Amino acid sequence: MPTARLYIPQDVPFELSEIDLAGASDDDLIEISRDSGTALSLDEMRRIKEHFVRRGRNPTDVELQSIGQAWSEHCCYKSSKAFLKEYVFSITNRHVIDRGDAGVMEFDRDHAYALRIESHNHPSAVEPYGGAATGIGGILRDVLCMGARPIALVDPLFFGPLDYPFPRLPEGIKHPKYLLGGVVAGIRDYGNRVGVPTVSGGLWFDESYIGNCLVNVGCVGIAEKSNVRRNAVRGPGDVLVLVGGRTGRDGIHGVTFASAVLTKESETESRGAVQLGDPIMKEPVMHAVLEANERNLVNGMKDLGGGGLSCVVGEIALAGGCGADVDLSRVPLKEEGLAPWEIWISESQERMMLSVSPRNLEKVLHIFKLWDVPATPVGKIVREKRVRLFFEDVKVFDLELDFLTEGPEYCRPCEADAAGKRRKEKLPKTRSRYDGTLLGLLSDHNICDRDWVIRQYDHEVGANTILKPLHGKTGHWSHGDAAVLKPVEESFRGLAIATASNPFAVGVDPYRGGKACVDEVCRNLAAVGARPHSLTDCLNFGNPEKPDRLWQFRETIRGIGEVARELNLPIPSGNVSFYNESPTGPVLPTPAILGCGIVRDIRKCVTSDLKREGNPIFLVGPTKAEMGSSAYFRKTGSYSPRIPNVDTSALRAGLDIVVGGIERGAVVACHDISDGGLAVALAEMCIGGDLGANVNLEGMGRLRSDAKLFAEGTSRWLVEVRKGKERQLPRDRATKVMKMGHVEGHSLRLVSGRTLIDVCLDRMARRFNEPIWRVVG
Amino acid sequence: MAVAEVRVTLKKGVADPEGRNTLKALELLGFEGIREVRSVKVFEIEMGGRKTEIERRVEEMCRKLLANPVIHNYSIVVK
Amino acid sequence: MKVSDARVCVLRIEGTNCEEESYRCFKRLGAKPEKVHLKQLTGTDVTSDERRSLSDYQLLVFPGGFSAGDYVRAGAIFAARLRSRLSKDLVEFVREGKPVLGICNGFQILVEAGLLPAMSGVMSEAPEAVLGTNDSARFECRPTLLKNVNRGNCVFTSRIPGDRICQIPSAHAEGKLMFPLDSANRIIKELEENDQIVFKYVDPDGELAGYPWCPNGSIASIAGLCSPEGNVFGLMPHPERVFFRYTHPDWTRHPDGNGDGRAVFESVLEYISKKI
Repeated sequence: MPTARLYIPQDVPFELSEIDLAGASDDDLIEISRDSGTALSLDEMRRIKEHFVRRGRNPTDVELQSIGQAWSEHCCYKSSKAFLKEYVFSITNRHVIDRGDAGVMEFDRDHAYALRIESHNHPSAVEPYGGAATGIGGILRDVLCMGARPIALVDPLFFGPLDYPFPRLPEGIKHPKYLLGGVVAGIRDYGNRVGVPTVSGGLWFDESYIGNCLVNVGCVGIAEKSNVRRNAVRGPGDVLVLVGGRTGRDGIHGVTFASAVLTKESETESRGAVQLGDPIMKEPVMHAVLEANERNLVNGMKDLGGGGLSCVVGEIALAGGCGADVDLSRVPLKEEGLAPWEIWISESQERMMLSVSPRNLEKVLHIFKLWDVPATPVGKIVREKRVRLFFEDVKVFDLELDFLTEGPEYCRPCEADAAGKRRKEKLPKTRSRYDGTLLGLLSDHNICDRDWVIRQYDHEVGANTILKPLHGKTGHWSHGDAAVLKPVEESFRGLAIATASNPFAVGVDPYRGGKACVDEVCRNLAAVGARPHSLTDCLNFGNPEKPDRLWQFRETIRGIGEVARELNLPIPSGNVSFYNESPTGPVLPTPAILGCGIVRDIRKCVTSDLKREGNPIFLVGPTKAEMGSSAYFRKTGSYSPRIPNVDTSALRAGLDIVVGGIERGAVVACHDISDGGLAVALAEMCIGGDLGANVNLEGMGRLRSDAKLFAEGTSRWLVEVRKGKERQLPRDRATKVMKMGHVEGHSLRLVSGRTLIDVCLDRMARRFNEPIWRVVG
Repeated sequence: MAVAEVRVTLKKGVADPEGRNTLKALELLGFEGIREVRSVKVFEIEMGGRKTEIERRVEEMCRKLLANPVIHNYSIVVK
Repeated sequence: MKVSDARVCVLRIEGTNCEEESYRCFKRLGAKPEKVHLKQLTGTDVTSDERRSLSDYQLLVFPGGFSAGDYVRAGAIFAARLRSRLSKDLVEFVREGKPVLGICNGFQILVEAGLLPAMSGVMSEAPEAVLGTNDSARFECRPTLLKNVNRGNCVFTSRIPGDRICQIPSAHAEGKLMFPLDSANRIIKELEENDQIVFKYVDPDGELAGYPWCPNGSIASIAGLCSPEGNVFGLMPHPERVFFRYTHPDWTRHPDGNGDGRAVFESVLEYISKKI
């Protein structure tokens, strides 16, 4: 190590060095950043050097490591913050209660719900089972530390094509089949064990995910308002109690791992950065934390996620306007011989920090003892805003919180890539019949039945899942648009949860694509009878140091923010994941959105499957010839830059019509129109209900037949109305409502002047149900 | 300290879904020519004491927890 | 005893996760349920206020979940802890005719503890059966249909008519009921004679089912068993998840009436009100 001379070992009975920054050249600084694993840039290293020169001393290794954690992209959002502030954080309304580790929203007069989604991409690409499992663990703690009981998990997943040829797989990259199996098993074994139902999610396949799959996990929780806690201490004198798992070397430098591009060496080099989860530690942690909190013994809590203790102590103290003194030698360890800096930044799983008044300490420790969960007082809160660390009575760390937590904020260059603009429009050939096209779309991996995944997750533990992920008549099923939970025993009010993403649209036009994602999540919520209420988003993008990737990011959240603002939908939490690139290139820009909606009375909810022969079928929303990025275009090798736009007045009108129709009992089935367009949406309704439909598309106007069938225009739904209740379906001049046909027979018939599609039900169901089973059985 | 290795295997004729499905997964991943995959569970128990004493106690552990006689055989090797 | 006096012990350890919904079913029907940690019965790490005795209760429930992670074998660790600390209390509880219910992981615990099928006494020396890995080797969360085949012995199904098909969902990875291969046929016959078989998995036509209607490959499609006296009952499917109609998978088609699981809880409370 050429910089070895700059590390000055200290005369103490454990590993501790001072780093001679004062005497370090720029080259030395770069070298120190690299061999300490902190991934700080030269500018950042210079800023640190200046700070310590001004204070007339050198940092210890504990201090430098801590700054590396605090200033990582993952912890301080240095590339994204400016944009998030502009487009997302400013949307607010009176239902927002808190924006902490999870967002907290009002549910009813006495209750609040918490929501958050985040990524666990890089660990999952290297070790899919452990990576995905720890992702679940982390998101549960984010919700738990707001004082909320987790009631639902959500997991949008993005992989390379399942039939990708093995020989083409780049070196060091795992096959999507293996990754899918491992990730699903990880979510299953962890989520099922902790007893939180997995109710929503999604699966997307694209070649861009070959080298860097995306694993996003979301969680929703419920709390009585009086039990909601901030991620903050109450004041000086509070005791910091570390609860849960022991601390080890697992997960060291997880955040810096998440903030760099994956390489083929990542697999061997980064195993240390993948933590191992223990759901049977987490389950009692949840019990004990909730019990202590509900007995009003906890002042504030925070999850130990990225950066471990080094981030949580500073943040929880500063949020209460204080500082902290911490004794690192009290932290329970998995193995002996950890250096103070390792203890301080380790990301070992299943840990939380509780801030407790001294008079409540014994009671809190007793609760944890009963559940056999380690709980250890490790520090106390002090008035001055600084953190001091001691190890075996030696002070190893002393930093002002303003300096530590005020990470850099960048306005990096941001510009569209000119190449995309030049691509020419290429339309598919028209056909006389589209039976084969429809069947092809139904069996496309991006559309077909996901029951292989869904049934491995317990989606009804807790016995509160009113609408489950699969809808249909007994023995038949298709996808629902949103899950509905009934979180409060004494009330029929429901919480609907939906997931949406459209990386294909965002990839062609990030601004319109971002808007379309919000439109989709709102459609999903309305389709079961819920009014959209809040959103949380996980934004998965490439390397933000490249201007075109950052431009995609900015345009996407501009689009997301615009529609959310128009609909008055706050986004009280979220997560940004950059550097989703591998030697094969960046992933498609992928915003995954989790939406929550309020159902006034769950007994009015509807599912997507057709219910009864003879009922009329209506189309809500206008259809346009915007086909760019549609599943149909992708399947036929076509291209168009014209991505469906969102007309918020039509969206709002459509939401009112659909939810109004459901609440009045007029609508008995509803499905939003998304991937594969109207034909696929109607086919799914038929498959779930084991009933056919006969529909005439002439009323849609002068459009190409394939546009009528397969366009994925926004703000559209298909609704089945109870016969005789047609007039109960609300109307609105801002959008179109059109009767198209009836539930009828045992085949799907779509006509426009001539027959375009006429396929029997069993054939559609087979093509829809089998594809994933065939590949991963 | 000695290490007692406990191997818990399925009795002959008992279905082994884990083995069978692992076989299938391996085939889906492109491995050919596998005849059978059997799942086995191994526990390594580190403890002190005389060998015969360890064997006796580990035998009891098997009966009380580690194996279910309805479907399992077990073997103990003290190293 | 009046139902409102019936004390229900919903027993849990780390990894138990269906206690809340099981607790609520009894609460809704007016009984007095309580969530009790195993350590409260054994007196480990608890204050005197928290100490409980099994004899204070009229009904013992082992809810679903993954007790102790199910790491050795589903239910095995909970069962071993029970046997080492509470076997005397348990045997006495069962001998008094007090009912014991095991749902999903609870059923696995009862089998591993020797409390079911209990053909050689209240608590057999070694397990007489096992709930092994599903044939699919996967966790299976899916709707299942159960036929009550019990002729009146089981105290948990007295209010479910014999021909009735109940929709009670399953969610487990280890639910395949197995007996020693060499004696399986004899045991099944004996169970039938003793009227110990309670629920069988059937398809929508009411016929004995294979996969997926029988999600695990259980011998003779058995979903639930009771003890020879009928007061210890275990089943893999989750009746507590369908207490209400609106948690049934297809409730929007048939929104009226009670959930199919409710009758299990009503039956046992009726038994307590008449017999205890």
